[in-house]
Amino acid sequence: MPSRRFRWLVAKEFRELMASRAFWLLLLMIGPLVGHGFITAVDTYAEASGIAGGPAALAQGLSPLDGIFVPAFGAYDLAVTLLFPFVAIRLVAAEKASGAWKLLLQSPASSATMLLAKGLTLLAGWVFAWIPGLCALVLWKLYGGTLHTPEMLNLLLGHLLRFVLAAGLAVAAGAIANGAASAAIATLGFTVGTWALEFIAAGRGGVLAKLASYTPTAALRVFEQGQFRPGTVLVTSAIGITGFVAAGIWLHEGRTVRIRCLASVALLLIFTLFVVSASRLRTAWDLSENRRNSFSAADEAALARVRHPLRVTVFLSPEDPRLMDLDRNILAKLERILPEMEIVHAAHFRSGLFETPGDHYGEVWYEMAGRKSMTRSTTEQIVLDNLYQLAQVSPPSRTESEYPGHPLPARPRGAAWLYYAAWPLATCLAGWVHLRVWS
Amino acid sequence: MLLKAQGITKRYGNSTVLEDAGFSVHEGEVLGLIGPNGAGKTTLFECLAGLLPADGGSVEFRGETLAAGHRKHALFYLPDGIRPWADQPVQWVLAFFETLYGRPHGESNALATDLKLERLLKSRIGSLSKGEAKRVLLALGLLTPQPLLLLDEPFDGLDFRQTRDVMALLRTVPARGRTLFVSIHQLVDAGRMCDRLVLLSRGRVVGVGTLPELRSLAGLADVDGTGLEEVFLALT
Repeated sequence: MPSRRFRWLVAKEFRELMASRAFWLLLLMIGPLVGHGFITAVDTYAEASGIAGGPAALAQGLSPLDGIFVPAFGAYDLAVTLLFPFVAIRLVAAEKASGAWKLLLQSPASSATMLLAKGLTLLAGWVFAWIPGLCALVLWKLYGGTLHTPEMLNLLLGHLLRFVLAAGLAVAAGAIANGAASAAIATLGFTVGTWALEFIAAGRGGVLAKLASYTPTAALRVFEQGQFRPGTVLVTSAIGITGFVAAGIWLHEGRTVRIRCLASVALLLIFTLFVVSASRLRTAWDLSENRRNSFSAADEAALARVRHPLRVTVFLSPEDPRLMDLDRNILAKLERILPEMEIVHAAHFRSGLFETPGDHYGEVWYEMAGRKSMTRSTTEQIVLDNLYQLAQVSPPSRTESEYPGHPLPARPRGAAWLYYAAWPLATCLAGWVHLRVWS
Repeated sequence: MLLKAQGITKRYGNSTVLEDAGFSVHEGEVLGLIGPNGAGKTTLFECLAGLLPADGGSVEFRGETLAAGHRKHALFYLPDGIRPWADQPVQWVLAFFETLYGRPHGESNALATDLKLERLLKSRIGSLSKGEAKRVLLALGLLTPQPLLLLDEPFDGLDFRQTRDVMALLRTVPARGRTLFVSIHQLVDAGRMCDRLVLLSRGRVVGVGTLPELRSLAGLADVDGTGLEEVFLALT
């Protein structure tokens, strides 16, 4: 049971959040943003399901996760990147600017307690902002759609971690920067930096690619693809928590800048060690209903019998789309099953365009127990048959995919009214009542 | 002795704002800190409170060295010119402070009455005039329980009547077991309010004591009717 003092601290933060025009603007904008994504997705899904009487897509290709909720909830990625940081920064920077923080620093509450109260309040605000997203789930069920609980909870967890990361960064920026404007620039600069990192890493691979796999967008993508990776959960949480700890260090204005810098360096070292350890975790679970991140159950059973380490040498440049196919369709799935696996990227040039045929460009070599074989294919069955030969394991008899698909030829009835009219009106009314009448 | 500060020094680059400042605060007194604008009064308070890192010096509280990180247990510093939680109503902020410091229920209401804040309880702090906001801040300061209360310009923004009322209220604080250390730029107010005075000029303490002691220090002991202004001018 939290103490009375802590409850009042949370109440103070919540009142400050509700007094923030930035928060009400975020609420106002999130409804139409989610609504647009949801309505467009349901319409497209309905057409792919044959609502217009035209040729329908294969049922197995229709998944509510991909077709509806990843695009609809994409609005939250946008909001947490471009809108939410302003709300989080205000919660810290306003108290610094108004002198309130000087009063609080002298109170019996520790900085950690006060930052925890801020974090919980931001979480409450973010949950509030998720009402349109949760409405999308309800509407989808009302239309007759299906939901696969594990993959949906996993997607929501991904968005929660995306929030933790964004909150940590924004609070740290608010604490370190001199004013809210500088903090906002720093936060957006970080976001743009991660986009640049992803762009550069896509063409270079190696350490940069590893680093880029933990950028906010890339981390969320893991959950959007139905994967649950403890490594991603730990690294993302660590970034967010490190942000809050850094805020605690820098908000302690009674310490010299030198001491605060030293504490930050120590924090960075601990963070780096933790992230390096966590990123080595290869464990991952495929929670998607259509098992898109897994081989068939029969293949997984056969591969589980492979005991030898596998070495894969890839002669494809990071920019080559075939490498992306190979990574997603083969290597990522193999990494989750095989006990030991090493991947070597051996292309000589950044772009494969100028490699000579003698450089083996395009080849993928698989090596196991002293036996080697090469294939240029990125097709799952060809590569797996190749591996079974190397491992001297008999290939399983394969059946058709067990995923039936969930076509739904339904229009998004009532969604436009809810997202474009009811939500903005309700938000405006609640905001007006709160800001004008109660405050 | 409640608090003893020795050798407090603060520099910003090449500029020395406080240089070897030292003085004592006695239990139950009202000590005044006077000095011209830019003398370093606020910096001294912030260094004492541990809100600004000093480049040198030490603080003892009841004979024990008090590290900057532990000052909040011994003293509370109320800055001048701040406007905290501007969007919140006065009543709520007072109740928040009352709870934060575990004060008896109803103490904030009593202080609101003493400081004539009843009419303002439902107003947002951001909508208050300078004098009203100052009285709310004083209420916050008086709600804190630390033995030593540092008030930076407590009468700034108050009119004559309010200054007189607040001064009377502050004079009752030592009787309730707290010690006051107040910075005042109005020398007349300082003379009426304080038991002893610390004179600060260009970051240096140029005199500490009662008005007669300061007169002697300034060599004006024999001049009849010498006020604090003359003493201050003589010493700075």
